Amino acid sequence: MKRYIHSYFLPLAAALLLLSSCANHPDVPSSSKAVKSLPAIFPDYCNVTVPCNIAPLNFMLPADEYEACVARFTTSDGQQQTYGHGVKVQIPEAEWHAMLDASKGKSIKVEVWGQKENEWLSFSPFEIHVAEEPIDEYLSYRLIEPSYVAWTYMEIAQRNLTSFEETQIFNNEITMNDRTKGQCINCHSYQNYKTDNMLFHVRLSNAGTVIVNDGKVSRVNMKRDYTISGGVYPSWHPTAKLVAFSTNMTRQAFHTSNPNKIEVYDLASDLILYDVETDSVSIVSNDSTLLEIYPTWSPDGKYLYYGKSVPLPEEMDGQDIRTTYAKIQYNLYRRSFDLATRGFGEEELVYDAASDDKSVTLPRISPDGRYLLFAIGQYGCFHSRHHDGDIVCLPMAQYTGTPLNAENTSPVDLTSVNSNGYSDSYPSWSSNGHWIMLASRRDDDNYSRVYFAYFNNGKVEKAFLLPQEDPELHISLLKSYNRPEFMVEPVRISVEEFSRVFDK
Amino acid sequence: MKHLHLLCTLLFGVAVLLFFGLAYPHHLHYQEEYQLFLFDSTYVWEIVRLPGGVADLLGRFCTQFFLFAWVGALIIALLLSAVQLLTLRLASSWTSQTAEPSGEWFYGLSFVPSFLLWLFLLDENALLGGVWGVLLTQFAIWGCLQIPKGWKRYIAIFFAIVILYWMALGGSHYYRIPTTFPTMLYAAWLSAVIIPLLMLLVMRSKKRENAQQKHYSLTSHLIPLTSYILMSLIMGSLVWKNANFKAEKVMQYDFMACHQQWNRILETVNAEKPNNQIGVTVQNLALAMHGMLADHLFDYNQNGIAGLLPDVKEDATSPMPTAEAFYQLGMVYVAQRTVFEAQEAILDFQKSGRCYKRLAQTNLINGNYEVARKYLMALQKTLFYRDWANKTLTLLGNEEAIAKHPEYGRLRKSVYDNNFFFSDHVTPEMLEDLFFSNTDNRLAFEYLKAYYMLTGDREGYAKLLLHTSNKQ
Repeated sequence: MKRYIHSYFLPLAAALLLLSSCANHPDVPSSSKAVKSLPAIFPDYCNVTVPCNIAPLNFMLPADEYEACVARFTTSDGQQQTYGHGVKVQIPEAEWHAMLDASKGKSIKVEVWGQKENEWLSFSPFEIHVAEEPIDEYLSYRLIEPSYVAWTYMEIAQRNLTSFEETQIFNNEITMNDRTKGQCINCHSYQNYKTDNMLFHVRLSNAGTVIVNDGKVSRVNMKRDYTISGGVYPSWHPTAKLVAFSTNMTRQAFHTSNPNKIEVYDLASDLILYDVETDSVSIVSNDSTLLEIYPTWSPDGKYLYYGKSVPLPEEMDGQDIRTTYAKIQYNLYRRSFDLATRGFGEEELVYDAASDDKSVTLPRISPDGRYLLFAIGQYGCFHSRHHDGDIVCLPMAQYTGTPLNAENTSPVDLTSVNSNGYSDSYPSWSSNGHWIMLASRRDDDNYSRVYFAYFNNGKVEKAFLLPQEDPELHISLLKSYNRPEFMVEPVRISVEEFSRVFDK
Repeated sequence: MKHLHLLCTLLFGVAVLLFFGLAYPHHLHYQEEYQLFLFDSTYVWEIVRLPGGVADLLGRFCTQFFLFAWVGALIIALLLSAVQLLTLRLASSWTSQTAEPSGEWFYGLSFVPSFLLWLFLLDENALLGGVWGVLLTQFAIWGCLQIPKGWKRYIAIFFAIVILYWMALGGSHYYRIPTTFPTMLYAAWLSAVIIPLLMLLVMRSKKRENAQQKHYSLTSHLIPLTSYILMSLIMGSLVWKNANFKAEKVMQYDFMACHQQWNRILETVNAEKPNNQIGVTVQNLALAMHGMLADHLFDYNQNGIAGLLPDVKEDATSPMPTAEAFYQLGMVYVAQRTVFEAQEAILDFQKSGRCYKRLAQTNLINGNYEVARKYLMALQKTLFYRDWANKTLTLLGNEEAIAKHPEYGRLRKSVYDNNFFFSDHVTPEMLEDLFFSNTDNRLAFEYLKAYYMLTGDREGYAKLLLHTSNKQ
């Protein structure tokens, strides 16, 4: 009897193998109608430049328009391979990385056929340019429903960018079971793209900042009598065990008809410096009439950049911020920092956005110190909720001490990075300075997704969406990718280890 | 004897069916509203990969049918009857058929686990996965007992425990509030194992006696029947006493508002004036939908402005009727936020078909078609929302069809022209802005007038009347 079963099992396994092989490497259609346009693939990977170590760029044709999709990839050495299963093109990781290796510094030609009403259409081919520079191997983000006030399960996850592996850094499940003890987790941050020194915040129950100091986990409360809150938006000093934070009294309000839907604003905000070794908090800036936010260190640790609001017109003084919020604008400032004395120099205005009726947030200096990225919008400090939110990149060489503004600067052309009419925010640099990352709501105007763009000597290529094993995930996933941060290594501390600091 | 057992089980099953179908249907609707079963491999895997996942999945699968209360009642009746039959079967298996436990006084005890599960299911936070957990445990034990005594049975028991842990025993999602220990469920679970054991012990002591009396007698029918009747009376009265008919009434109002049964709402409130917050809110919405709110406001129970548009609270259920009123009024952004937050407040982190549907609608009305598409794509993976989702998908981006749609077209015209911030507390300005920017919004007129009447705002009332008389 056993032999009988086995005699069926082997041919069945072979047939399955054959079937799966057919599904992965289909034949290209023998006849097709040429269409002189690029295929409407999702994500749009047409003519993008990608890192030489990125995970497979799986894509699909719209399922409500097409019945099937076949794609043929041709590497610069002439090797060809076809993929396609239903409307999706999903490439095995090993085969994809072999293609990348063969095409480093060159391009992969992609031809796409789509079957529509039983007729095959062949689209104009496109290329995937493979940069010689790799991208940082890891990315972390908070996955959260883009909610209003209430929130439920959330997690900080890390994704291996060379594969599709995603693991949890922390989640709020342990305490979320009891609503009165629920935790909101946010603002993960790393020192110099490494994970031995990192932090994230936990709010409400067991509130505090979870800090990893040389791999050792602890929970600290940074609120002091002389600060308006605990630390909020962090930035690790690149070499010292110091973290600059803004302290914020943040509020939300909800629009009745404005498509931005939610307004996030601060009633007050200051800057502090936290010494991880001594658990001490010192004030960096606490102008009670103005709002300071989003500190970030220059890569050499000699400057602290931050946004600071400009004074409101006199007639608006004392008015409820719910009526003046659209007039609050932030400029970009910096202060020099002496590591030996822990002293800050005088404040310098780096970019005057208000003079152009704009507001600057989230500055990030490139690892070589030559470029400055920031998010810009018409007002406020939370452009991830603003449709006009865009990313700006300025060469730092243009700053000679005279404040920069829209008139006297020539920004890097980011038209291939920014979306039209959707929020683009939270920019950052990869550790080698060749990849810009941003969070954008361009796909559906609600759920933020991670985009990357190649950057080389002030030239930027078309942004592309974080690849997923199933390309449909970006359509179906009802979560936002919040605060994407590059890392050169994974967080090795487990969720359970992090959880233990809440037992104390 | 066998027919008598079947008759007793059948009677029990019919009682369960009638109870849930007639007296408790809206509890079943409530269960269905706060979960979303998807025919999706990722969804299934995320559930079954956890200990207790199979029982949880089976519970969720069955709960989707609670959209139709009688189908839900039938499912519960079948499950509880199966638990009773298996309890009896286990007792028979353990006694190795040398005796007939069903012919004894304690036959009625075989109904105890089912009655305890019935008591468990009276609670709106009880999840059907728990019932499946008990049933799977009984199946596993019964399966092991079918294997002849010896090492094979021991091996089977070992594997059964491991598999059962994964399928049911290790589960924690049997009650909507994860920190609450569902005592009644675990009492039922324990009794489903202990009662057959108890029967076994008693039967062993009576083994010889029973063996001698293996012939038909009137008492062999009367004794189990009496024990059954006694058990049914005791446990049945416990069920009735513990049933939360007050909550059932509230859920009925919520259900009627959800399904926009305005006539039925008025029939219900005319028969019995609501005395709960949700009932008054729903009553006022139904009156407004019929254009009767302002004129008949004080013919019905009122609760000040809290009965008109109550403050939104941070829970999953109480904001939903208010969100329905926001939606019908044209406060689409407000409705969207209220529904979104309500869904986020579902205690066991599940999603809701009702909420997904409404979020798809609000996004469609607001022109956020890609967001609406996300919700509709999820609903396409359901059994009972699929057709609606397919139909609604064809509207995305079709401005003409949306404008002509009786509901979406009307609401698009009713939305706010001016932008301002709203809060959890509805202010007269919110209604004034809504009405004065579109005086054809009859519902806004009804609510605004009622608002003035309930707050005694004569100035506002006079201004409104002046405006309407000028318009005429």
